[in-house]
Amino acid sequence: MTQATLAPPSSPAATAPGPTARRRRTLHNSEARGAWTLMAPYLLLLLVAGVIPICYAIYTSLQKAPTPLQPEAGFGGVQSFVTVFTDYRFWATLGNIFSVLLVWLPLMILGIVGLALLVHASPGRFGSAMRFVYYVPGALAGIANFVLWVYLLNPGQSPIGFLLEGFGMSTIKAVAAPDNLPVILAGMLFFQGVGTWIIVVNGGLNGIPDEVFEAASLDGANSWQVAWRIKIPLIRPWIGYAALMNLAYGFQLFLEPYLLDQVASGAIADQWTPSQLGYAFAFSNYNFPAAAAMSIILLVITLGIGLLIVFRSGLFGEEEK
Amino acid sequence: MAGTKTIDSYVPSAVGSHHWSISRVARLVTMTFVAALFIFPIIGFVAMAFRDQSAVADGSDGFLGLGGVSIGNALFSWSQIIGFGTGEGGIFLRWMGNSLIVSIGGALIAVVAAIPAGYALARLRFRFRRTVLFVTLLTMVMPNTVLVIPLFLEVNAIGAVGQLWPVAVIMGFFPFGVYLSYIHFMTTMPPELVEAARIDGLSEIGIFFQVATPISKQAIALVTFFAFVANWTNFFLPLALLTSNSENKTVSLGIQELIGASPLFNPTVAAGLDVKLYMPQLALATFISMLPLLILFIGAQRFLMRGQTVGAVKG
Repeated sequence: MTQATLAPPSSPAATAPGPTARRRRTLHNSEARGAWTLMAPYLLLLLVAGVIPICYAIYTSLQKAPTPLQPEAGFGGVQSFVTVFTDYRFWATLGNIFSVLLVWLPLMILGIVGLALLVHASPGRFGSAMRFVYYVPGALAGIANFVLWVYLLNPGQSPIGFLLEGFGMSTIKAVAAPDNLPVILAGMLFFQGVGTWIIVVNGGLNGIPDEVFEAASLDGANSWQVAWRIKIPLIRPWIGYAALMNLAYGFQLFLEPYLLDQVASGAIADQWTPSQLGYAFAFSNYNFPAAAAMSIILLVITLGIGLLIVFRSGLFGEEEK
Repeated sequence: MAGTKTIDSYVPSAVGSHHWSISRVARLVTMTFVAALFIFPIIGFVAMAFRDQSAVADGSDGFLGLGGVSIGNALFSWSQIIGFGTGEGGIFLRWMGNSLIVSIGGALIAVVAAIPAGYALARLRFRFRRTVLFVTLLTMVMPNTVLVIPLFLEVNAIGAVGQLWPVAVIMGFFPFGVYLSYIHFMTTMPPELVEAARIDGLSEIGIFFQVATPISKQAIALVTFFAFVANWTNFFLPLALLTSNSENKTVSLGIQELIGASPLFNPTVAAGLDVKLYMPQLALATFISMLPLLILFIGAQRFLMRGQTVGAVKG
């Protein structure tokens, strides 16, 4: 389980059982041809929705930003990256992301692990009913989750309006103040995301053989000790996976701050996250090279996290054997 | 539900100590409390869709507003939602239709691409198999929003911004579906089956259609489900590709437009509108926009619980 995902590729011929070498080779030719034919639609989509846009973004980022005097752009080298890095908002957006991650990630991991352990300790109908309830908000992804939170955060009609007003906030503009944003966003993301991950981690817990628990109870371990000493160490790959996936997710935050800014009539910076900054480069400044450079920076960050997940989480590659 | 559990936790068992029942009660109370935190906002929000704005403003509908719920209120709110738009209004239905087109179109493309690809990766041997698998895993775990701006640049370069078909095609690229299909064939289709079909003289393509496809119902259902949900709730991609054309917006973008037209958040813009969009109307529009997902969730629940534990799920 802790082994790296892609073990050194063994040559196909060595693993393939076949009566004679020649038959094996012809078989392999037709097998490979069949495989590529079957994968053709997927590979085409990978090209159109993955490879080409990335290459085109790299190409675009190396162009000069068009100006009114010089509408035709030419090769600009790394100028667009300089534009991004020296933009006064760039480091601020990264700081904002970290301020959200600081609140959200610990809350998320604690919630996922804690609730998954509780669900796992409750076999039968109560446990599965609770697991379902925790999953329900996950169905309200995207804008629906956002409108629900507007309902919660607008003191005028919120069921927790008395609390918000108790803190001296009587309008949604006051609630969505920049200082509160990390907590609000952490709440939104937790609410919509935790349920799915409880199911994933719960799946990991269900994979632990019963004998392990039997042995533990024979040794006189109580339920706390079982959870702490046995379950948590055994589901560590899933916890790491959840942490990294959510970390990557954090870097692309867009919808929530973008729309909060809209309902809070400008209480928040228009470009609060890196994705918003990239969007502004493209759609407000029409500076496509800078927008492309911004996406490449984000791509590199999430690619790094993605590589960590695939190679280090230990969750992928088991089925290779 | 909780009743039976709590009662038997009070029954002293042979080995059960006092400590055991306390920790059991603590567990049940914690779980129920968290469940309440999750459920009450949703109940209050759905109730909001069936309330009247003046009562909402007065705060007079009792606990979570459940006292002021009526179908008549919802019908009035619906008349406001459907009245939104230039001329006769009715653009909300058009947005719902657009969402259906791109979500179903994207899910169909995803299934058609993912099932054969997953099969090939799981059961056929060829050079670069591991490379394709690795790229699939990598693209699966990366948030798809990081590519939105590059995709916009690409679609812009071919002059198709504002049209629905590029959105559906891009949504059809669904590596998580390939992974699901790969796991499906790995776990349900023994390699000997492929070997036997070859000896029977079937071609590689023939094996896929005549042997693999008939046993991939579960995978098809899962890929369709996850792709549809991801497409329906996608916001950033339609925002970048469709905002310029109000007629072709998806319902997610439409709700954003409704929020922008609400006097709650933007009194100046809303003053010129015939319809009044307050929280009950926004809640109802959101509720209606979630109905297709709700129906799908209830319909697919059986597949879902089995399938979610199959592998890691894209968050």
